[in-house]
Amino acid sequence: MDVLRNKARDLLAQGQVQVVIGYEAGTGGARRPSFVRSEADVARLVWDADCVGNLAGYLTRAEIKKMGKIAVVANAATLRALLQLTAEHQLAEGAVSALVVTEEGAVLELSNAQAVTEHVATLPASLSAADREKLDQLMALSREERRAFWEQELQRCIKCYACRSSCPMCYCGSCTMDCNRPQWVPVASHEMGNLEYHTVRAMHLAGRCVECGECGRACPVGIPIHLLTCYAEESVRRQFGQPAGTSATLNYALGTFRPDDQETFIR
Amino acid sequence: MADEAFEPKITAFVCNWCTYAGADLTGTSRLKYQSNIRIIRLPCTGRVDFMLIQKAFARGSDGVIVSGCHPNDCHYTSGNYHARRRWMVFNDLMEFMGLDMRRVTFSWVSAAEGAKWATLVNEVTDHLRELGPYTEYQRLLNAGVA
Amino acid sequence: MSRLGVFVCHCGENIGATVDVTEVAERCKHMPGVAHAEDYKYLCSNPGQNKIKQAIEEHQLDGVVVAACSPRMHEPTFRRAVTDAGLNAYMCEVANLREHCSWVHEKADSTTEKAIDLVRLQVEKVKRNKPLDTIQVPITRSALVIGGGIAGIQAALDIADSGHKVIMVERSPALGGHMAQLSETFPTLDCSQCILTPRMVDVSRHPNITLLTYSEVEHVEGFIGNFKVAIRKRARMVDEDLCTGCGECLQKCPTKNVADSFNEGLSMRRAIYVPFAQAVPNIPVIDTENCRKFQGKKCDRCAKACPTKAIKFDQKDQIINVEVGAIVVATGYQVMGTERFPEYGYGTYPDVITGLQFERYASASGPTQGVIKRPSDGKEPETVVFLACSGSRDAAKGVKYCSKICCMYTAKHAMLLKHKNHHAKAYVFYMDIRSAGKNYDEFVRRAIEEDGVKYIRGRVSRIYEEDGKLIVKGADTLLGGEPVEIKADMVVLASAALPNHGQGELAQKLHVGTDPYGFVAEAHPKLRPVETTSAGIFLAGACQSPRDIPETVGQASAAAAKVTALLSRSHLAREPLVAEVNRKPAPQFSDCTGCLLCETACPYQAIGHEEIKDRNGNVLKTVAKINPGLCQGCGTCVSLCRTKAIDLHGYSNEQIFAEIMSL
Ligand SMILES: Cc1cc2nc3c(=O)[nH]c(=O)nc-3n(C[C@H](O)[C@H](O)[C@H](O)COP(=O)(O)OP(=O)(O)OC[C@H]3O[C@@H](n4cnc5c(N)ncnc54)[C@H](O)[C@@H]3O)c2cc1C
Ligand code: SF4
Ligand code: SF4
Ligand code: FES
Repeated sequence: MDVLRNKARDLLAQGQVQVVIGYEAGTGGARRPSFVRSEADVARLVWDADCVGNLAGYLTRAEIKKMGKIAVVANAATLRALLQLTAEHQLAEGAVSALVVTEEGAVLELSNAQAVTEHVATLPASLSAADREKLDQLMALSREERRAFWEQELQRCIKCYACRSSCPMCYCGSCTMDCNRPQWVPVASHEMGNLEYHTVRAMHLAGRCVECGECGRACPVGIPIHLLTCYAEESVRRQFGQPAGTSATLNYALGTFRPDDQETFIR
Repeated sequence: MADEAFEPKITAFVCNWCTYAGADLTGTSRLKYQSNIRIIRLPCTGRVDFMLIQKAFARGSDGVIVSGCHPNDCHYTSGNYHARRRWMVFNDLMEFMGLDMRRVTFSWVSAAEGAKWATLVNEVTDHLRELGPYTEYQRLLNAGVA
Repeated sequence: MSRLGVFVCHCGENIGATVDVTEVAERCKHMPGVAHAEDYKYLCSNPGQNKIKQAIEEHQLDGVVVAACSPRMHEPTFRRAVTDAGLNAYMCEVANLREHCSWVHEKADSTTEKAIDLVRLQVEKVKRNKPLDTIQVPITRSALVIGGGIAGIQAALDIADSGHKVIMVERSPALGGHMAQLSETFPTLDCSQCILTPRMVDVSRHPNITLLTYSEVEHVEGFIGNFKVAIRKRARMVDEDLCTGCGECLQKCPTKNVADSFNEGLSMRRAIYVPFAQAVPNIPVIDTENCRKFQGKKCDRCAKACPTKAIKFDQKDQIINVEVGAIVVATGYQVMGTERFPEYGYGTYPDVITGLQFERYASASGPTQGVIKRPSDGKEPETVVFLACSGSRDAAKGVKYCSKICCMYTAKHAMLLKHKNHHAKAYVFYMDIRSAGKNYDEFVRRAIEEDGVKYIRGRVSRIYEEDGKLIVKGADTLLGGEPVEIKADMVVLASAALPNHGQGELAQKLHVGTDPYGFVAEAHPKLRPVETTSAGIFLAGACQSPRDIPETVGQASAAAAKVTALLSRSHLAREPLVAEVNRKPAPQFSDCTGCLLCETACPYQAIGHEEIKDRNGNVLKTVAKINPGLCQGCGTCVSLCRTKAIDLHGYSNEQIFAEIMSL
């Protein structure tokens, strides 16, 4: 932890960055984001296994971009988000440095997309073991059971859009949900609208979701909504071999094709 | 048991250059098919947003057909290849959400396949008649929809 | 509120007998936004169109739905009619009551109900239509011709003669393509070189043609009327301005053992060479793979011999950028080599040759000055077997298609053999004789009847060498499959014509489609045979599929006519059904987030980006921008865009949404 704080202090002292985004202690042992802008504040930074949140979501916000050059304490999902955001032209190459704490406790500073890409290639999938198990369980159910499961879950959605706000890839200024010409998805939260909202969100994240699980954690009524986006992402990876967040150049699986893409359902 | 009088409502999204023309050929060849289907003409399958399918169901369709040029024959060279990828993910995700994908038929019908179009529409219509109304989805409408 | 008019056509009995047309019109009157509805016997007739025009004026209609036959039939007719009455053409839509309703369903209430639904769809759509203006794109009035065979030569000359500039790119060191290699040509047996050479010279002298040989297309961007092309002019190591074509250098080159590709490997050439005596341009090129100097040895004999100091060992490839309005692809074909035939010895028997090699033997300017010899020992063969359809019409052995030219040139070859050596025996194995064409069948009959060429219907299963002879084993299917064995001195394979090497990569650079075999695909097999799938790019000759010279030339002139028609205009009018990225006031500027994921999805590379800047030039936002000249309106980007920032004119989100909701 000290290595990380020292690194942050150095970066700020030398003026290499104006803000370090990391984690600090929140209420009840939880971790929350921390925006460290002065050397005095580096002591707030913590790093441990509870630092699961994806901090990349902050990087695209105008008020944060305004602060200047940023260093972000990055877990695997944050790194993937960094790459995906760069590929999608939301982050300028080199605008953000990633600080990665290795298992040995050392701190790596990855200051360009290539360094991040190389590091990400060495990491295992960011999907947690618990989520992996849940996905497998759902896939083993019958269609009717799966429908019942999602109907149960989605009817509780209150359309607060916390999932959307927390997602680093949901950076769009004008979301389809807010489009009223035409009003694709009804504003009110009811079963059909909820189902449509979450289908749209999952489809829009297919090939882009970095599997951090942030949206699921953000949901105030506890819907494991990240399972949908993670499934969509996995569908793309399985069918087209392209994982999101592994390259800083455009390779969006749904923006390209192969003439020999194999499917079984088109008549 | 399905209601005797039940007639499925079917919405079709087809591309202008192949399937629309193929359906024209069905007409010129005077081949008959059941009249439940309503065709919405689009330039290309690449224009098929999955939300169109969603909205057709939200509007009470019991089945949807999406059809365009065979691979390699798209008037715009690759719109259908892009479409195919999106359908592959959409289809997969819908299965995962437990939606009834027997109600969506994706197909390639060329401008020369007037007979295929007639057969396809008849088969889909019969199949949907067997499946009955899509109540499991339309039930969700109760909360009211725009 | 819209004031729409709905016009329902009986189409005689075609719609009227199955759909209750009056009922449809009646019900339409009550649809919201419809100000007028009527039915008529034949709306596409002049009186029918006049009814529409009158109603537009009388009821001050702002949109029209014509419920009639397929829009693919009469949409242009009705759109023209409404413009006559002062409406924008795109304020008219057609509901397909005939092909999609009356012709495919029985007479029933449900059929009439469907007809009403189909009209309602269009009514809801038209309410959301916007007047659109055709797009005017300026045209660069010059053309690029790729490939300098007879197809490219003819196209270039025709275009240049009509007064437009032409840039001609040929990848080999000289013009002419395969025709330059031929001896005499069917069906008239005139000498190929003699009719071709003047054309090649015309190309090189034409004031409107810039000839770039030993050059290839490197990169193409842009669209009809406005292509930007980068051409790689490879270094010949000879300064074209200084060289006088005297040929002194050729004699001095000590490297004499390079297989001569113009002679199909039947002779040797030097490392510095001119492909053939009549070559245009008559400027040598150094083959750096074989030149001693480039292999690190000491040699500069050619340079020493050159009286004008034209040899430049340090010449580099040059990239030449040109702008053209149209492109003609005329890259020709190649023939399947003998190594592709296991049953005929995999190319290991020297006396099994291709038809193209036979042409070189038969040519007066060929390696044997026109005497038919055989490669192994240089003797004149007495018995020659010709195998038609070698590798053609059999997917298992080569290609599925018919190579089309082989029947004719095989008859020609057998005939030439007999003309040159009266004692020689010529046998032709064939599947069927395809000799349609002016004077073609007569030509084949002449070979059989006057020159005594023996035609055997059947295939050859095997060839092997025995005592200096080639044993050809086949069967005569006209004699019930009776085995035939011929001891031949030479065998000539009429081997399949294939897409030229590099054709696939070129097609990719040009974004033109290819057929399953790899030939350039035409936009429509019957009605648009010289257009490719990309607007502004045309095709001519054997790059489309195998063909002979008359057909090639005809097609080249056709392509040239298309190009000339295009270049004769200063602007191009395009259907305005294109996609557009929306723009909004600051600070949003657009719903586009600038993710640019749509960029790769566009089949036409129509999507680029635009930087929105403040007064001081600082970039505020980068958003996608669609080039309306390039966009063909497929909508692939529209359905990809997450924020719905892209919409497609004529098939907009609001229109389609309304259609769905009307059902
Ligand atoms: C054995 C044989 C005998 C024949 N005899 C006859 C006959 O008697 N009568 C008759 O009518 N027809 C005959 N033909 C057919 C004739 O050869 C063709 O019809 C004719 O050559 C087609 O012309 P083309 O210009 O389309 O193609 P080609 O002659 O193949 O010319 C293509 C040209 O394009 C160039 N090129 C290719 N790719 C590129 C590229 N990427 N960039 C730049 N340049 C490129 C090539 O170098 C070549 O110069 C015969 C064919 C064969 C094989
Ligand atoms: S969709 Fe959920 S899991 Fe995927 S990147 Fe966004 S927040 Fe993370
Ligand atoms: S509509 Fe099609 S052609 Fe036009 S920009 Fe979009 S993807 Fe390209
Ligand atoms: S035009 Fe038919 S699928 Fe693209």
